[in-house]
Order: sequence, then C-alpha cells, then structure tokens
Amino acid sequence: MFSNNPVLSRELLVNLRSTRAFVMQGLYASFLAALVYFSWPGGDPEWGGAVRQVSPGVARLLFNLFFLGQFFLVALVAPTFAAGAITGEKERKTYEMLLASPLKPLTILVGKLLSSLSFLVILIVSSLPLMILCFLLGGILLSEIVRAYLILILAAGTFGLLSLACSSFFRRTSSALVVSYLVILPIALLCVAVTRNDDSMTRDFVSIAVLPPWCLAIWTLVVVVVNRRLLRPPDVGSEGNEVIDEAEEMKSAIGVVIDRDLFPDKLFAPAKRTDLMPDGTNPVLDKELRSEIFSQGTLMLRVVIQVSMFISIFLMAVLLFWRPDWAGYYVAYVITFNLLVGPVFSAGSITQERERKTLGLLLTTLLRPGTIIRAKLLAALRVSTVLTFLLTEQLLLAYVLVPNLQTRFWTLPVYLLIIATTCLATTTTGLMCSALSRKTSVAIVTTYLVLFALFVGPVGLKLYMRDFVESVSESKLSAMTISSPYAAALSIVIPPDKSSMVGTYAAANTPPVRFPGGFAIPVWGMFLMFYPLLSGVFYIIAYVAFRYRWWRAGGTS
Amino acid sequence: MIEVSRFTKRYGEFTAVDDLSFSIGPGEVFGFIGPNGAGKSTTIRFLATLLRPTSGEAWIAGHSVVGDPMAVRKVIGFMPDDFGVYDGMKVWEFLDFFAVAYEIPVKHRRKIIDEVLELLDLAHKREDYVNGLSKGMKQRLCLAKTLVHDPPVLILDEPASGLDPRARLEMKALLNELRGMGKTILVSSHILSELADFCTSIGVIERGKLLAAGTIQEIQRQLRSHRVLKVKVGDASTARARAVLEDDPGIRSVDAFDHTLTAEFEGQDEDMGRLLVRLIDSGVAVQSFAEETISLEEVFMLITKGIVN
Repeated sequence: MFSNNPVLSRELLVNLRSTRAFVMQGLYASFLAALVYFSWPGGDPEWGGAVRQVSPGVARLLFNLFFLGQFFLVALVAPTFAAGAITGEKERKTYEMLLASPLKPLTILVGKLLSSLSFLVILIVSSLPLMILCFLLGGILLSEIVRAYLILILAAGTFGLLSLACSSFFRRTSSALVVSYLVILPIALLCVAVTRNDDSMTRDFVSIAVLPPWCLAIWTLVVVVVNRRLLRPPDVGSEGNEVIDEAEEMKSAIGVVIDRDLFPDKLFAPAKRTDLMPDGTNPVLDKELRSEIFSQGTLMLRVVIQVSMFISIFLMAVLLFWRPDWAGYYVAYVITFNLLVGPVFSAGSITQERERKTLGLLLTTLLRPGTIIRAKLLAALRVSTVLTFLLTEQLLLAYVLVPNLQTRFWTLPVYLLIIATTCLATTTTGLMCSALSRKTSVAIVTTYLVLFALFVGPVGLKLYMRDFVESVSESKLSAMTISSPYAAALSIVIPPDKSSMVGTYAAANTPPVRFPGGFAIPVWGMFLMFYPLLSGVFYIIAYVAFRYRWWRAGGTS
Repeated sequence: MIEVSRFTKRYGEFTAVDDLSFSIGPGEVFGFIGPNGAGKSTTIRFLATLLRPTSGEAWIAGHSVVGDPMAVRKVIGFMPDDFGVYDGMKVWEFLDFFAVAYEIPVKHRRKIIDEVLELLDLAHKREDYVNGLSKGMKQRLCLAKTLVHDPPVLILDEPASGLDPRARLEMKALLNELRGMGKTILVSSHILSELADFCTSIGVIERGKLLAAGTIQEIQRQLRSHRVLKVKVGDASTARARAVLEDDPGIRSVDAFDHTLTAEFEGQDEDMGRLLVRLIDSGVAVQSFAEETISLEEVFMLITKGIVN
C-alpha cells in the first residue's frame, strides 16, 4: 500500500519534479531565514560585539511565530492539494479509469493523501533547522519543539483527510475546496485556542492526551467513509453530465432547504424563467443567476450556509453578548467567511467557460467583453454578498439587545460597510485571477494567495515589526495595515462597559494613521477609501485581460 | 463569400498552418478535408474570429476577419468541433440565451426559436435540460444555435464526429437542407465519405499546407490528365471492341483484362457518346460502358501520398 503505490508515485513524479515546487521551497526557507535574521539579537558592544548568549524572550517570540505561522500554513495549504485530489480526476475524466483499475480504494486513498501532503511536509521539515537555531537562544524546551511538530503533522494529516473526504463528495474542485476550508476553520480555531493556552499543564495535556486520539478517530471515520465511496461510487456513469433535479434533491436534503421562491434565498437564486428574456437583459447575468448557480446541485451551498451559521451561533454568544467589546472579532469571522467563500463564485467565472468548452460559443456572439465581464462580476458579487450578509443578522440582533453596543450605534454601519467592501474585494480579485489563469484550480489558489497577502500579510508583518523593530511608530504600523479588513474591523473600539468610554481610543490597539497636515484617519476609514480604488483596478485588469487574452486574441484552443 | 489569403499560424517553432489561400463562392458547400492535426480546426477558428493569425488575412462577406471581427460574427454561424453546453439550462433557454446574445428582439425570438427547433427536429425536447441530451442531440442543438441569427455563412467544424450512423445520416440531410436554403457552408471532416455527396468543392489540407482546392471535377482533372473509360463486353467481341477503341483519336491507351477494357480517354462527354455509338454500330455486345469516377477517398490518398510517403 505504501511501498509500491502507483497513485503515489505518479503524483510525486508530477508534483515534485517541477521547478515550481523547488522554487517554492527555496522561497519559503529564505523567507523564514529572513525572519530569524532580522529578529536575531544584535551584538552587544560591551561584549566586543559578541551575541548575548541567552535571549529567551526573542526565542519564545520566534517559536510562537513559527508555530502559529506554520499551523495556518498547514490549514491553508493542505486543502488546496487534497481537495482537488479526487475532484481533479473527475474533472479530467480519469476517475472511472482509476476506479476500474485493480487498485484497492484504500491504496488510492493513501496515495492521494501522501502525495497531497508531501509538499507540505517538505516545507514543514525545512523549517526545522531554523527552529533548532532558536532553541540555541534558550527559553524553549526541546519537548515543546517536538510537541509543536507533532501537532503540525497531526493537523496536516487531519486537514488533508477531511479535504479528501470533501473531494470525494463533490464534483468540482472549487466546491470541495470551500467546504474543506469551512470544515477546517472551526477545528483550526479550536486547536489554536487550546495550544495557545497560558497554562502549560493544560497545554501539554491537551496536545498529548486529547488531540492525537481525536485525530485518529477522525482519520478512521474519514477513511471508512471515503473507502466505501470509492468502492461503490454513486457519482460515475455519465461523465458527470447528469441533470440535477432541484425538486428531487430537496426531498433528500438534510437541514436547510433552498427555495428559490422564498426570502432570503431568492436574493441569490432568483426563480427560473418560464418565458423568454425581455429585451435589454444581460443574457450572461441572467444565465449565471438562474441556471449556473445550482448546476452542480445545492449540496455545496447548503453545507456552506449550515456550517457558517452553526459556527456563528457560538461566536455570537461569546463575542457579541458576553464580551461586546470583542464585536470586532465577530466581524473578523464574517470577513473570514467571505474570504473563503467569495473566491469560489468569481475565480471560476471565466476559466469555467473555457473548461466546459463553451467559451468559443460565447465569444463568437455579438456580446461585448464589457457585458460579459460585468455580468460575471455582478453575479458572483450578488451570491457572495448575500451569503455573507446572512451572518450579519447576529450582529443586528446584538446591536438591538446589548446596551454598550447601542451606545455606539454608529459602528454598526461601519462594520457593515467593511463587510460589503470585503465582498467587493474578494470578488474582483477572483475575477481578475480568473481572467489571468487557464484553469479554475489555479485561479482559485491564486485568488486565495493574493487575498491572504492583502488581508492577513500586513497584520502579521505589523505584529512582527512591533516585536522586533523598535524604531517604527504605531501610526506607521497602522498605515501598513490599511489593506486588511481585519485591521479595519479591529480598529473600531467598543468599550467593555458604558463608564469606560473616555480614553478607550487612546488605548486602542490600532491608532489612526497620521498625516503630515496634523489630521488623522482611523484605519477603517483608510480601508474604506482604499478598497473601492483597488477593486476598480482589479476590475480593469480583469477586463483588459479578458478582452485581449480571450475575446479578441482568442486563445481558446 | 469567404476569401482566405496567405493565412499562417505558428506556435513557437511549430507551424500549424502554412501560407493557406482559398476562396469559397456564395452558395457553395466547401468541404475541408485532412487528417487529424492537419490544421483544419486552426483555420476554422481563425475564420470564426477566435484566433489571431501570425500573418495573412481573410474576408467573410466582405468583412475583414482580423480588422472587423464584430461584423464577421454577425454573418457567420459557428459550430466548434468540441463544444460544451451550460448546465442547468433547458433547450429553449439555451437558444434564448444565444438569441439574446445575437441581439434579436423578443418579438422575433419566439418565432425563430420555434422554427429552428422544428427544422432540427428538436421540438419535442424543448423542455429538456441541455446537459441531459445525447451527443447527437447536443450536436443538433449546437447547429440550432448557429442558426438563430440566420447567418448567410455557416462554419461547421466536424459536425458529424462521434455520431452513430443514423445521427450521421440525419446530420447530412440537415446540411443538405441548409444548402437548399442558399447558405454558404464551410464544413470540415476527416471522414471523407461524409462530405462526398453534398460538397460542391473541397480543399485538402495536410501538415498545415493546402494541397489542392477546387470543385471535385477540377481536382480530378488536376490529378489525372485524362478520363478513364471502363467497357465490359460480351465473350466474342473483346478483340473487335479493342480495335474500335484503338481507332478512336481520343483514346490514349487500352488495357484488356478478361472481358473488361480500360481505356485512357481525352475528350468531352459528347465524344464519349459518339464512341459508344461506334462500338455498338460495329457489333460489339456492350454490357456496360462508363467513366470510372474517382472517389473522394482516392483523391485524398492520391493527393496526400507524396507527403506521407
């Protein structure tokens, strides 16, 4: 199963022999090395320029940074490879050939898992020497390093297997990917919360006695389910061309049912037409909203709505009712949801026409490139915004019920604006990447990378610089983060109770950005001004790319 | 109607189509023949405004393919060789979508969709989902799509590939009907017998080069400098028939095998008739007398032989 696994050897051959894998690994190792280099304690003049021997504080900070950074890396990268492992076979139409071979389902599963995790494991292992370097500074126990890597490997395995399970249930990589992220999100948050616990006893207990058995349980469950699905696949036979009957699917649906005729479902899924389109309709927009949205069934959307609602209930209790001053973190969750789900609706908008071989039909009509691109943007934006705003009803509820949110009622529209702007940003980024890529899977991963660089990167950089670079003012640090909706949401200060309203602004984590003229604009203000511009730029890039790459130059072959 | 001038397309080092020129008159049905990978689809995609040429130009109904693609799109109906359909759409919705995309106002659309569905025998599938249709039905649906804006020129890339014999015959009948409607049709295929019956002219392409183009008769004349007559006669008259044939000024050479004579002949149809009269007048028991026509397959084999071997 392991030593002579054809699935594994084929994938390893294709994935790891590419220059891209080599370059990525090199970049990753250099990036980590740069982090260590710049935070390395400087030479002390009193000791003749020699490095102070023990710098436990720095070592601890670096260790935490490495662990947390790599944990997020695992949570992000494991699904990108694993969620496409089986759907990729379906999309390439090699799935039936693979299943019809004498390979055991378990062999296929193990091969897919190991191959999709191989690159990730190489990245994690290549960070080990640098971690050991930090160990030499003192302040960290060897057992902590072992424990950290154990958790990373366990997380990689668990996230990889969960994504594989999603991959076996869906027909498209994009659906599998977004559901994987949503399933992994709560687990990852829980893991981080537990392992960051200050009490080292609880930490050790949880990471040694609780996590491994739970992971093993999840592994076994997933393996059994996927194994059965691969052995008797219910989704082969018609090359994935079967017609999905919405009414039929509704009957077997568990939990939420989507009904095109009801509010709020009809906001993102208007009813099917019974007659011809009126004159002046944008046919592409009409097609996207009425036909394409459920063409792969409603399973993906139902899972997305249910999981996000489920998580939001817990978060609402803690972040809005128990600690209303943490309301920004609830908004951060809504932003994360949009970050994960938004790209799925836009990043495939052009590449999918190509993959489905309908682009040639569409391009030889009289539709202008602007009409097509605008329709794609509006359709994706509408679905993504409606789904995201389903999560804001909790926010509205809290502003009605919680007294110290009521006193700062003006923050509600700001939060909503931040969320709406985020929806615009994720959609235009996805559209741009779709116009620039040849494959949907590439477009989606590129979109995620761009969005993480814009949303999360600045916050990480700010935290790093605050710890290790002394001469930067807080205002400059704030200015760095204006591209991050997280920073924007958290820059709004809600007092913990009514009496302490004065002075909270000064103590805020994120001070406003100061300009030479003496005036200052809060980070959220900068964010709200910055993104419409950036989204406009992305939209123009998407238009130009589509016009000259596809519409006019016609690289459709 | 279609005029291609020195079209060349290179992909890096590889030349897909090399210096291709041909023209198709109005109402003609032009068969584009060549083996897989010969450059048929590249040429067709170029004509359908989906591909920029490395060099060269083409005009359809007077509009430049390179300079004015929108005008060209208005006058062509294009059916790619390998196309997909949208999921979750019904047959009428699919046609409505393309009719709107071709800017046909709603008052005409209903009638056009009904007519097109009727013409392609899809009326009973009106309410079916397009992704549930069989391959032959999808092929017909795509042809229906190319007709919604009633273009004078149809560009069809392998319209019958992958179809079963019955669907193939039906497709052939459809194309014949479209020819009857006066459309100029460019149709490609790698299966020669598909095209033989209804093409008025053909172009043979291999490895990106156009080897021959023109009407089938023209090409036959290019290939053979003379016509071939086959005469089958009764037992006793072989020698006499041979003598009569060799006497005729139009006959170049005569071969006899068993009771069948094969003669190389130069002349018009009238000369052939006179020759037959002479044979009968001299008492030859003619059992059959015919010109040996050359099939499209043979044309193709003859033309491509030089390069393949």
